[in-house]
Amino acid sequence: MVPVAAVFLPLVGVVAGLVLGRISGRARAWGLGAICAATAALTIALIPGVLDGSVYEIYLLRLTPVIWIHLRVDAMGALFAATAALLWLLALVYSVGYMANEHRLGRYYAFFMLCLSWTLGVAYAGNLLTFLIFYELFSILTYPLVVHEETPEAMAAGTKYIIYILMGGSLVLLGVVFTFFLAGEQTLAAGGILNATMDRTSLLVIFWCFIVGFGVKAALVPMHGWVPDAHPAAPAPFSAVLSGVMVAAGSFGIMRVAFQVFGVELLAELGVMPVLAGIAAFTVVFAAILAVGQDNIKRRLAYSTISQMGYVALGVGLLGAEATIGALVHVTNHAFMKGTLFLCAGLLIKRAGIHNVSEIAGAAKRMPVTMAAFALATLGMIGTPPLSGFISKWYLGLGILDVDQPLYLAVLLGGALLAAIYLLPIVYAAYFKTPPTIAAEDTGEGAEAPASMLVPTVIASTLTLVLGLAATVPGFPYSLARMATEAFFR
Amino acid sequence: MAAWPHWLPLVVLAPLLGAVFTPVVSLRSRHVAPWWALAVMSATSVAALFLVLRVASEGPFSYLPGGWQPPYGIELRFDEFSAVISVICLIGWLAVLYSLRYTEWLREVPKQRIPYYYALLLLNLGGMIGFVVTGDLFNLFVFLEILSLSAYALVAFSGEHIAEMAAFKYLLMGAISSLLVLFSVGIIFGITGSLNMADVATRIGQLDSAAPAALALAMLAIGFMVKAAVFPVHIWLPDAHAIAPSPISAVLSGLVVKVGIIGLIRVYQIYYAAGVLDLHTLNQVLVWLGAISIVMGAFFAIFQDDIKLMLAYSTISNVGYIVMGLGLSTNFSVIGGSVHVFNHALIKATLFLAAGALIYRTGYRTLTDLRGIGRSMPLTCIAISIGAISIVGIPPTAGFLCKWYIALGAFEADQPFFGFALIFGALFIFIYYIRMVNAFYFQAPVHPEILEVAEAPLSMLAPTLLLASLCLIMGILGRIPLAFIEPAAARLLAPLGG
Repeated sequence: MVPVAAVFLPLVGVVAGLVLGRISGRARAWGLGAICAATAALTIALIPGVLDGSVYEIYLLRLTPVIWIHLRVDAMGALFAATAALLWLLALVYSVGYMANEHRLGRYYAFFMLCLSWTLGVAYAGNLLTFLIFYELFSILTYPLVVHEETPEAMAAGTKYIIYILMGGSLVLLGVVFTFFLAGEQTLAAGGILNATMDRTSLLVIFWCFIVGFGVKAALVPMHGWVPDAHPAAPAPFSAVLSGVMVAAGSFGIMRVAFQVFGVELLAELGVMPVLAGIAAFTVVFAAILAVGQDNIKRRLAYSTISQMGYVALGVGLLGAEATIGALVHVTNHAFMKGTLFLCAGLLIKRAGIHNVSEIAGAAKRMPVTMAAFALATLGMIGTPPLSGFISKWYLGLGILDVDQPLYLAVLLGGALLAAIYLLPIVYAAYFKTPPTIAAEDTGEGAEAPASMLVPTVIASTLTLVLGLAATVPGFPYSLARMATEAFFR
Repeated sequence: MAAWPHWLPLVVLAPLLGAVFTPVVSLRSRHVAPWWALAVMSATSVAALFLVLRVASEGPFSYLPGGWQPPYGIELRFDEFSAVISVICLIGWLAVLYSLRYTEWLREVPKQRIPYYYALLLLNLGGMIGFVVTGDLFNLFVFLEILSLSAYALVAFSGEHIAEMAAFKYLLMGAISSLLVLFSVGIIFGITGSLNMADVATRIGQLDSAAPAALALAMLAIGFMVKAAVFPVHIWLPDAHAIAPSPISAVLSGLVVKVGIIGLIRVYQIYYAAGVLDLHTLNQVLVWLGAISIVMGAFFAIFQDDIKLMLAYSTISNVGYIVMGLGLSTNFSVIGGSVHVFNHALIKATLFLAAGALIYRTGYRTLTDLRGIGRSMPLTCIAISIGAISIVGIPPTAGFLCKWYIALGAFEADQPFFGFALIFGALFIFIYYIRMVNAFYFQAPVHPEILEVAEAPLSMLAPTLLLASLCLIMGILGRIPLAFIEPAAARLLAPLGG
């Protein structure tokens, strides 16, 4: 029952948040914090069992005469769920401080918790229809969070978001319907639902429906248009989850489809993966180049997300065991690195009024802890050992050599180099440039945020270090990714 | 109790007699009328409940008034499609309850005329119930006229200046469709000498020439398509549904257009069973018209600012789904279409009742004027949001099942293009519901006083919320209606050999 509890506990949080919010903001903060922490604990508690090889399966409800809503916890799902729940917890704690003076908090927290629930549902979905249900729910119910600020920019970004996402969702639905039509109701498990005896054209149609559909969410170029608008418009804690988990949910969908709907052998036979790898490689480089030109920090980070999710898709596209491990690990590592960066960007906005890279000169003097966290995550993003970003890139690199396509090594290194070009100047300016005098007088010294916001930011950035140093400890992402991958590549 | 045979005539007679006596019982005080109507609908609902339970346990059954055997006597026939009376009763009951406050508020209507409103509403509901349970072609036409005439009058009832025009347009189109139905009933009687549907089916099968039967088929199909408001004969619908009083809009959009669908199903039942005509052409026409209706209805809805007009266009779009499901004529698609007859009724009634509550409280009916209403009428707006999510077909709400099944049907029929049209048509629909959600929740009010209005009164709020919760429940418990309708769909398609 643990997976069910994990999925539905945040729903209790929705109600609790609305009720406690009537009493006081403090009561709501503690109540939701406790619920979110319990949810995170539940998702982590599932990991040891999964590592021992047990698979938790729960049939919740029969939706149609043949299809159940079905939860199934495997290594891949457990990893994604734990990542999501932890990042959500950090973002929630951060929200308490960040959102304190914002409007319509009841709505904000209700949808924030709602989306956690649906995301865990996506992670634990045991069949395609269950996956689709949770995926659609969380895609659409994210909308109120994207437009939360209710400014014209936010509304425009929201419209763009919803149109992109609905297009993607419709393609995914088409893929699910087609798969169901060809293969009937089947559990998502290693080995795949479809097989080579089926009509080749149909298989190709299904594959591209899924890839393009999930690609919208996973921000594969050219379906990435919503990402750079939605991130700056949304409140910072939500941008963190949006980038860290929600975009990754698209990549997660791609992995589920590739390894559990099609299966490695069928994909190899269809010969479609090199195309995916090509798109992914283009995404990595193209988005990174665009990121360099952005002045708005959150926009630059959004492009960075697109680029980094390209790595994940590349790892899947290479169709090799090591590369897949790299992709899976990178989802988690990226979540916390990008989470840190967005939380820092939020602090810069809130405490120092800094929105753009051009304004950041000297920020480290005023906000030393924030900028230290930012710097650490930046180094991780570039792939500096021993930080977590290095681990994922190491396995991706091994995977590239493994499948004997060294050209992609250039993409991998090029992406890292570009990451250095678009992120390091921020750090450099913050530490080594002297601020223009007016700005300094404006906000004064010591703009550091209160602990309630600083602590989650620091924890997220520390995780960048911990996930790098302790990468091979059982229960950490690598062990789960290895386990999942071994099942895919038998 | 469920086995008592006389529930079937009772379910038809109760609302019709109730309608006739409404003006009589409200001679002393016009305030009796709504309670009388509520009592009549309660009795009808009990009968309907037993009938649905019976058909679920033992399958279709007949009632022969006076014991005359068909084809000589008339027959009332209750099959799984007739179970639509359950939603007719539910929505009818709720519409009566909702009208309690709503009719009093209609300024243009003289108060002493209000009892006639309830009489017409009961007549309309009774006509629909009669239409779906009759096994006789001529009675089918009679009930069609009862429900259509009362519907024209109800549209005109609000007394707004374009109401008469809308009602007249509705009447004109409706009269043409009724004539077509009447002529084809005449032709069928002429060539077969029978009016009993089951009997007609066997006799058409034995005819030498299929040409008159084909003519009758075409006229019946067109006649019912007008009633169902399929493109291009939908033009009467938007004005009529938007102008009618809101509880009537719920009945018209949720139920009355479905009469056309049930009519089409009855036609299919006869002609599939007769087996002389290849219905492939008709099916193909229906599929295409369904697809065009989906896209066109949604497309026009995007440009509406009047909230009820927008809902009216979305009805055209949803009827398109159902018609497409019938036309694809596979097991999945027919199940999906039939279940959507029920689910769309619930969803659209939710939306119209909620929209009516907004209009009742604020006096405004356009999205621009209603900006910010989500803050002052939160429950009504939640209901309307749930309805919006359902009608777009976001899983696991009630609207999803139909999309899922009809899309599966499109693959089954080897016409995946229509699955594509269906799913992307739904996207269009979502765009205008996003506009609505934006206006209610995220945009600054144009009229500041809108933030001061109170939540709808209980007699309007309770029906809306009940229906909204049904939108969710019917999605989550979707297996029950799906399993219920499955044998009926299988029986309908059985003559096709699949």
